Amino acid sequence: MSSRRSSRGSISEEEINELISKLQSLLPNSRRRGSSQASTTKLLKETCNYIKSLHREVDDLSDRLSDLMATMDHNSPGAEIIRSILRS
Amino acid sequence: MAQCGGGDVSRHRKGHLETVESLCQGLLDDVMLDDDKCRAMFGYLQEWQDLGSMCYGSLGGEPPLVPEASNGSGGGCFRKRRPEACLDAKGESNSVCKRQRGKQQQPCDRDQMAAVGKGRPERGRPGARKKAEVASPKGSPATSASTVTAAQKTDYIHVRARRGQATDSHSLAERVRRERISERMRYLQELVPGCNKVTGKAGMLDEIINYVQSLQKQVEFLSMKIAASNPVVNFNIVEDLFGRQRSQAACNPAALPAMTTMPIGQVEPSCLQMSPLQQMQTPAGSSGFGLEMVVSNQYSPAAGGPMSAAAAMSVPVGASVESCLNVNGAAGWDIGSHSLFSGFDAPFQSVQSELLIL
Repeated sequence: MSSRRSSRGSISEEEINELISKLQSLLPNSRRRGSSQASTTKLLKETCNYIKSLHREVDDLSDRLSDLMATMDHNSPGAEIIRSILRS
Repeated sequence: MAQCGGGDVSRHRKGHLETVESLCQGLLDDVMLDDDKCRAMFGYLQEWQDLGSMCYGSLGGEPPLVPEASNGSGGGCFRKRRPEACLDAKGESNSVCKRQRGKQQQPCDRDQMAAVGKGRPERGRPGARKKAEVASPKGSPATSASTVTAAQKTDYIHVRARRGQATDSHSLAERVRRERISERMRYLQELVPGCNKVTGKAGMLDEIINYVQSLQKQVEFLSMKIAASNPVVNFNIVEDLFGRQRSQAACNPAALPAMTTMPIGQVEPSCLQMSPLQQMQTPAGSSGFGLEMVVSNQYSPAAGGPMSAAAAMSVPVGASVESCLNVNGAAGWDIGSHSLFSGFDAPFQSVQSELLIL
């Protein structure tokens, strides 16, 4: 994709559109929206929100995992599995 | 620059022009624009001086340049030299609010022509342009009481055609749109780490996409880890993923082996592997593992069915383990049965050995 870009840094509109649609496909509610072409502004706004929610989720999950690890018996099979996962 | 008015401009006006220009030049140097940009603009004006003279002439007696305009900041300087748009009777034709979508034909074809030729380089830098627009007052001389109009119109988004930009409503709407997009992009730039090193919209979008993907993977990875360690969560995930198949299986118990979506021959070894594990875990009293719960809660031990059901239910655990082992690989849940079982076997071997030790 980057090879198609000219050296001047000006990118064709199609490439931008391609990237925009790719980004749209990443967003969770992109499927339920009927119109394939939502406005770019909206899309970017949603991306902002989505990134923020992902941040929150990652934080939350990390907290939970660390809690689990803290409370878990170190000899239990679950701990063993987690350790093997974390090692890899 | 002083010749901007051209031959048609009267001596008197020219005198004004010169004083205004010198004032504005000073202001520009002080206030907002760097010299290069300033000179570029003035050069451009000179280039179009005959255009200026034409429009001044066509507008009759109204002096295009009023000295008071120089009370504003430097932005007024180049703005008021814009031939038609600023001299349009409304005085605001260059600050069209975005809702004004009607087909108002602007009387400045020449300005649009100029946009074709000269507008491009300015558009390349939306941020700089916006700053300049913010800094500039209500440009046209007719609205030199800029603060009043600004207060009146705060509920609109003002876009203003700069010199050389088209002023028809479509172009303005497009410009608003682009402003919003670039604003969002700047916001995203703050959110996405490493994005401010990338220049260009495409690079930024690339970066954003990568970042979103990596965040999604991270979330997936973390939830898998938690799922693998927490029996309750594990149970829920299993239920989510296999709810459909289970409901099918509930309707037709004979479909149980089929719902594993893999050859029976492959299922059997895992079943065989499962049963000693279960037998061992139950007496050992280790409740920390999800498989037991799945089997005992979901399936009453009946002949034939439970075994394959156990295999089917245990698959997600193996899958989660596998996907955790190579996070960068494909999504965890639809990997092939072979890798699934290879991932499935390894941790259970370790569990078995640990249980044996216990």
